[in-house]
Amino acid sequence: MKTTHKTLMLLAAVAVVALAVTAAGAKEPWEKIKIPELNSVEMPEYERVELPNGMILYLAEDHYLPMIELSAQIMVGSIYDPADKLGLATMTGSVLRTGGAGDRAGDDIDALVEARGMEVETWVGQSTGGAYLNCLNEDVDLGLELLADILMRPQFADEKIDLAKSEQKAVISRRNDEPLQIAMREAPKVLFGPDHPLARHPEYDTIAAVTRADMEQFHAAYFHPDRMYLVVIGDFATADMKQRIETVFASWERSTTPLPADPEIPALPRTVNVAAKDGLTQATVLLGQKGIRNDHPDYAALRVGAQILGGGFSSRLFKEIRSNQGLAYAVGAAPGTGWRFPGTFMAYTITKNETVEAAAKAILAEIERMLAEPVSEAELQFAKDMILNSEVFSYDTKREILDRMVRFEMYGYQPDFLQQYQAAVKNLTPAEIHTACQNNWTPDDLSILVVGTPAEFDGDLSVFGTVNEIDITIPAPKPMLVIPAATAESLAAGAALMTALRDGSGGAAYGTLKSYREVDELNANIQGMDLTFTIETTVEKPDRMHVMQKTPFGNMTQVLDGDTAWTSSMQGTQDVTGDDLTDMKNQLLTTRFAILADLDAVQCQALAPMDVEGAACTPVNVTVGDESQVFFLATDTGLIRMIQDQSTNPVTRSPATRKVYVDEYAEMDGFQVPKSLRLVYDDEQFGTITVTSFEANPKVDPALFQK
Amino acid sequence: MTTLTRCAVLAAAILVFGALAAPAQTYLDLEGQVHEFTLDNGIRFLVVEDHSVPVFSFRTVVRVGSAHEVRGITGISHLLEHMAFKGTSEIGTTDIKKERKAMEAEDAAFLALKDERNKGVNADPEKLAELEAAYEAAKDAAREFVVSNQYGEIVEKNGGVGMNASTWTDYTQYFYSMPSNRLELWAYLEGARMSDIVLREFYTEKEGPVTEERRMRVDNSPMGKLFMEQFQNLAFEASGYHHSTIGYRADLDNISRSDGREYYDRHYVGPNITIAVVGDVDAATVESFARKYFKNVPDGEYHEMETYEPDQLGEKRMNVAQDAQPLLLMGYKIENIEHPDWPVYQAIADILGQGRTSRLYTEAVKNQQKAVQCVSFAGYPGVRWRTMMAIMGIPAKDVSAAELEAIVDSEIQRLVDEGVTEEELAGVKQRARADFMRGLDSNNGLAGQLAMTHAMTGDWRHLFREVEQLEAVTVEDIQRVAAEIFTDNNRTVILSENLES
Repeated sequence: MKTTHKTLMLLAAVAVVALAVTAAGAKEPWEKIKIPELNSVEMPEYERVELPNGMILYLAEDHYLPMIELSAQIMVGSIYDPADKLGLATMTGSVLRTGGAGDRAGDDIDALVEARGMEVETWVGQSTGGAYLNCLNEDVDLGLELLADILMRPQFADEKIDLAKSEQKAVISRRNDEPLQIAMREAPKVLFGPDHPLARHPEYDTIAAVTRADMEQFHAAYFHPDRMYLVVIGDFATADMKQRIETVFASWERSTTPLPADPEIPALPRTVNVAAKDGLTQATVLLGQKGIRNDHPDYAALRVGAQILGGGFSSRLFKEIRSNQGLAYAVGAAPGTGWRFPGTFMAYTITKNETVEAAAKAILAEIERMLAEPVSEAELQFAKDMILNSEVFSYDTKREILDRMVRFEMYGYQPDFLQQYQAAVKNLTPAEIHTACQNNWTPDDLSILVVGTPAEFDGDLSVFGTVNEIDITIPAPKPMLVIPAATAESLAAGAALMTALRDGSGGAAYGTLKSYREVDELNANIQGMDLTFTIETTVEKPDRMHVMQKTPFGNMTQVLDGDTAWTSSMQGTQDVTGDDLTDMKNQLLTTRFAILADLDAVQCQALAPMDVEGAACTPVNVTVGDESQVFFLATDTGLIRMIQDQSTNPVTRSPATRKVYVDEYAEMDGFQVPKSLRLVYDDEQFGTITVTSFEANPKVDPALFQK
Repeated sequence: MTTLTRCAVLAAAILVFGALAAPAQTYLDLEGQVHEFTLDNGIRFLVVEDHSVPVFSFRTVVRVGSAHEVRGITGISHLLEHMAFKGTSEIGTTDIKKERKAMEAEDAAFLALKDERNKGVNADPEKLAELEAAYEAAKDAAREFVVSNQYGEIVEKNGGVGMNASTWTDYTQYFYSMPSNRLELWAYLEGARMSDIVLREFYTEKEGPVTEERRMRVDNSPMGKLFMEQFQNLAFEASGYHHSTIGYRADLDNISRSDGREYYDRHYVGPNITIAVVGDVDAATVESFARKYFKNVPDGEYHEMETYEPDQLGEKRMNVAQDAQPLLLMGYKIENIEHPDWPVYQAIADILGQGRTSRLYTEAVKNQQKAVQCVSFAGYPGVRWRTMMAIMGIPAKDVSAAELEAIVDSEIQRLVDEGVTEEELAGVKQRARADFMRGLDSNNGLAGQLAMTHAMTGDWRHLFREVEQLEAVTVEDIQRVAAEIFTDNNRTVILSENLES
């Protein structure tokens, strides 16, 4: 028994040797080439330093070229953009660099940088920002000074903000020109939802909404040394460089509030989406679902699995879709692993319209095959060889090594993460990869996005699920009121429109109007309370006005009598003087009754037509003395659709654009009276007004104008 | 003795260049580290040792590109680049003899189909269908012997990274990086594809991926259509720069494997090939492997004939309306890289349209906000033959290409009338020094610069002379050359406007 066993073992050993001999005999020519031992990789010397203000430095000397390179990663990103100001982060990133810093204007910095052949850049991306300096070592002091000024003391000059906005608007206007760009933009919206911080993108209106104050606040909130990691490589002495950097950034203060929480990445069920663009002969096809973070236990197995599925020349997708079926030039898969957020497992191809469905099916079939059976030993060995033999390239530049250290530190990975990964790859089995793919890839949940010309497709894609059509039309900017210099034509057109308004809303009655009384009910929500005010206004031409407000807090009266004015309330009576008096007089002069009664005294300038809430209007800029307001006259009725002017927000008391929308007219005492109105300050509704009565030429009690 | 001499030369050089900034020393230092040798067949090797990390990069530049193509076979240089990844008589096949037979049958089927197809309306539909079926069958039969992507797999399996290639008007280049213990394997692989490609999967590749690549880069890209194709078509008529590297669709359809073979045999010859290897290698070892593995590359002749593009009689202009945002392309004919004014062209392009202080950027982007980008570069679409100073402008939103053209025109006129300042020219020189050094900052970058410079100028040392040549340019040179090239008769303009506006 014992003997037999021994023999068997021996036989097995012989068999192994024999096999090896056979294999050696059949060796391909390239397998016969000797591969010597690889020279050992020496880790470069570097130093990690934390400055007193929290900035982390990684420094490595490299004296090959007389140059110095600094590359900063900053924890800031467009994920922190307010929803109505998308583009703020990106533009802040660019205006930091262009808008001037310290005591230098942006153009002066450009001139300095270009004259010395330096490179100085800043940017803010989706979830990180950065700064970069590359200069000859003789320019290092100037370079550091510029970098520190830019990061700590930016000026955000208005003209450079305008320039950044102009660039962003051009980007928006061009975003549907290239099909691949459409796919890359729409994919995150499909995968995470359109309003997700990793999916949303700027529109004309969100760009227009960004102000200099927004940039200053954004900079103050996010740019701090304790959120910055600086990699410094080049021709310097470490101790000296450390000192220089510490000195230039010494006065920069730590952040005082924590960063907002990272957005959650949702795992959405499958949707099938088509973005149509006419005239394409080729379609971009993406299939994707939520992936994992790199500290997930399946990380190594999934990366190797995705490598076998769709990474490079030797992958299944490349062989099947490109080489065998000739369906595409570009095809591949991404493992869906991410350093900060879970990544997106994604397979893609670019194929002709006529093979869209076929290509999507072929990709899905390859993914299914990864789940149906383990990969072969040969495929796994190949993937391992590829990953492990190229390991040395993880150490081939100092920049790469230090950037990686920064990444690990920023996102909470162990410094030996890479070595752990390589060790894990070495030991992977086909079964482990199979399990990892099964755990994470669920073909039924893969959402599909196709950008192409659907009329030419080989199918309507409904085989994959209900098809959503994505409208890629670029939302037009909210119209902006532009008031150019008046011309004889625009004044004549404005006067004609205002005359028509007068004739259509009361005509001769304006001329015979000596006095009027109007009672309004104002419903407003102020600090969470729904409040009702009754306002009774009595006007006696030319210069007397009495306004009584009945409020939940008591009554208040404002009176104007020629050159004197006063208010009275429960607190007693107070004279109104100075600017407040002028305001009251202007208020009386600029009522529509005053304007329409004497159009000759008013300058009316017609502006370019513009819709108001979908209604075609012509705006007319109406100027009385120094006061201007814009009447938006409806094209169909000639009546006022909206009046816009500069005013004061009644709650905050700060300057605001006031818009009064007229929703309904009623005939009252010979006039077309705006009966139902909405009052809007800076695009936020303040309240609604209903006119409950209007009397022309009522009997006016003289006592109203006695103190 | 050798060492001593070199030190003496270096010392003298430092004395001579002592007045310049320290970097001068570095160029000289590096120049002395370039080992060069030429094989009997004419292949030039350039080797730089850098033992800091056990890896190396190489760059093979073959002096063949779309400019060498004649009509009927446009796109063939690029197609051959794809073929170079399809293996050799040893790599990528299960049985080369049977495969060659199958490929011959495939060729016959293709030619028969092509003949019938090219009868156009007179083609017999029935016969066409028959020939089509026979052709498909022949392709399938040939594929039986293919080991798909084996060439690339060997590179990847052995830790090769960054494997790619590109084809342009003047050249085709191949590159990747490998762990340094794979030097001999690399020599085997690279030597084989420079002498022994079998053009397998020729038809599948041109009808599939190459046609898809054309669709992606040209047909479906409004900018690609203009920039990659129409601009060259319009500007050049006689010279090989008149068509794009991607080739015409009709030519791609008609090219046969024997066209490919003929083209490969003609252009993939020793004198046309430059290879730079940079990294953890021993120059002598590289030389011995090179002699062993590249010996089968034929020596052939380096024959390049330029059909010199004649002077234009007047402006060439194309007004395009398409469903895309506006774009401005302008080109002024200039002489090639061998012309003494070449450095002057580079200085003009830099001052006019490179960087944030350039004149076009300052005026069109910063001051007038009519553009978001406006750049110029000397040497489009190539450098070896008479070429162009090209200007590309991307108008801001709601600005037409025509409006931007007016701004560019006035800046060019200002350059012609007033010349440039000494300060502007000093900036060009300083930037050139810094950029030169940045280009040396990786194995791959250095290999690329050395091989490309040698292939394009005939001497890799020009890489180290470019900065000096630029140093010699004067403001007078710039004004003289500007007046010479910036004339209306000498220009080509494409205005692409949005269809809707």
